[in-house]
Amino acid sequence: MGLILPKQTLSRRKLLQWSSLVGGSFLLNGCSSSWGVSQINQWTEPLNQSIQQLIVSQRSVPEFAANQIEPNSLLINSFNGAPDIDLKTYRLTISGEVNNPIQLSLGEIQALPMTSMIIRHVCVEGWAAIVQWGGIRLTDLIKLAQPKDDVRYVYFKSADGYYESWDLAASLHPQTLLAYQKNGEPLPQDNGAPIRLASPIKLGYKQSKWVTEVILTKQLMTEQGYWEDRGYEWFAGL
Amino acid sequence: MEEAKKSTKKPKAPKQDLLAKVFHWINIISLLIMASSGLRIYNANPVFGGRAGQDFPDFLLLGEGLADGRVWHFAAMWIYAINLLIYGLYIFITKRWKNRFAASNDLKALQASANAKRKIFAGHKIVYTVIIPILLLAIVSGVVMYKPAQLHWIASLFGSWQVLRTVHFLTIPIVLGFTFVHSFLALKFGGIRLVKSMFV
Repeated sequence: MGLILPKQTLSRRKLLQWSSLVGGSFLLNGCSSSWGVSQINQWTEPLNQSIQQLIVSQRSVPEFAANQIEPNSLLINSFNGAPDIDLKTYRLTISGEVNNPIQLSLGEIQALPMTSMIIRHVCVEGWAAIVQWGGIRLTDLIKLAQPKDDVRYVYFKSADGYYESWDLAASLHPQTLLAYQKNGEPLPQDNGAPIRLASPIKLGYKQSKWVTEVILTKQLMTEQGYWEDRGYEWFAGL
Repeated sequence: MEEAKKSTKKPKAPKQDLLAKVFHWINIISLLIMASSGLRIYNANPVFGGRAGQDFPDFLLLGEGLADGRVWHFAAMWIYAINLLIYGLYIFITKRWKNRFAASNDLKALQASANAKRKIFAGHKIVYTVIIPILLLAIVSGVVMYKPAQLHWIASLFGSWQVLRTVHFLTIPIVLGFTFVHSFLALKFGGIRLVKSMFV
């Protein structure tokens, strides 16, 4: 197998190259090999990120009215299907560079002050939906855990193995929620029950579903997020 | 030097400012990158029909997947936008907009002029004047989708997200159609020499 497989991949690659020549688009496709993209990304991602950080603010994004909610526009995405979570034993932990690591049951989370917002959820794929999310402010939870002074990033781990990392500013934004309610109903399993991230200032893939762990860190690690590690932008601000 | 000798023999070739030539080159190349990477993004969730919608074929697309397409799109947007900005400053500083772009007398000429050449010229001026707001609309509708939360006040002008996506997409067929009409009218008015003068 080991001997055959590389040979097959090579010939397939050749075939693809030839087919693009035949298609007359060899110029464009030649650029699309990953060297070009990563080189360009090295130049433009820091530029684009600094502009995004410049225009983002801690002020709330204006919200929509209840009659503007688009219940059918919110599509379901996951990388590996919805995990089964036992709600009785479910715990949300906040740990990492904090003075007071905490662990909360669903009852304890729902006893905290609830925030509701109607915002536009924007997917990297190009679609968007106006959604109502209800939950607790992530900033309240982070305050409870008393982060150390030099914390800069927040990591999120999910029950399905998904992982994400955010800049601290976006995590402290007043509309960044750990949500347990969607469009006035308890959050459905496919949308990330019991707890998911929801925010108007980040693309959908930043808004992890089925969150079980929040970890505050001083640095960004090599692993930045499921999609980020597959070529997608890390900051992904809206 | 040889070029200069040639041009003295033939009837005088139209002369264009260097900036007009540079603008045309950069505009065409950056628009090709914007459109081919833009259609790659389109395919992730077609504007028309969503997940059930029709995809664009691979040979038209730049980048191997959505992530690649976005990298190209958000890199080329700078080149496209800065080129357009420099060109805009240039036509205002040199007052080029006064005689090279359409004015009310061109509309009159189009309706009433007996001179066929004057009519083509007037029509052509109107065509390439009208494309300027379309090129700007491509930037505005794109930037609003890129940062809809920070630019929510512009986003709300478009009504819905679907309108925003449709408008942004439509700039491709409009610009494509314009390119044909623009080239055709230039050919008709000044022949291949006029078209060439805008590039070399």
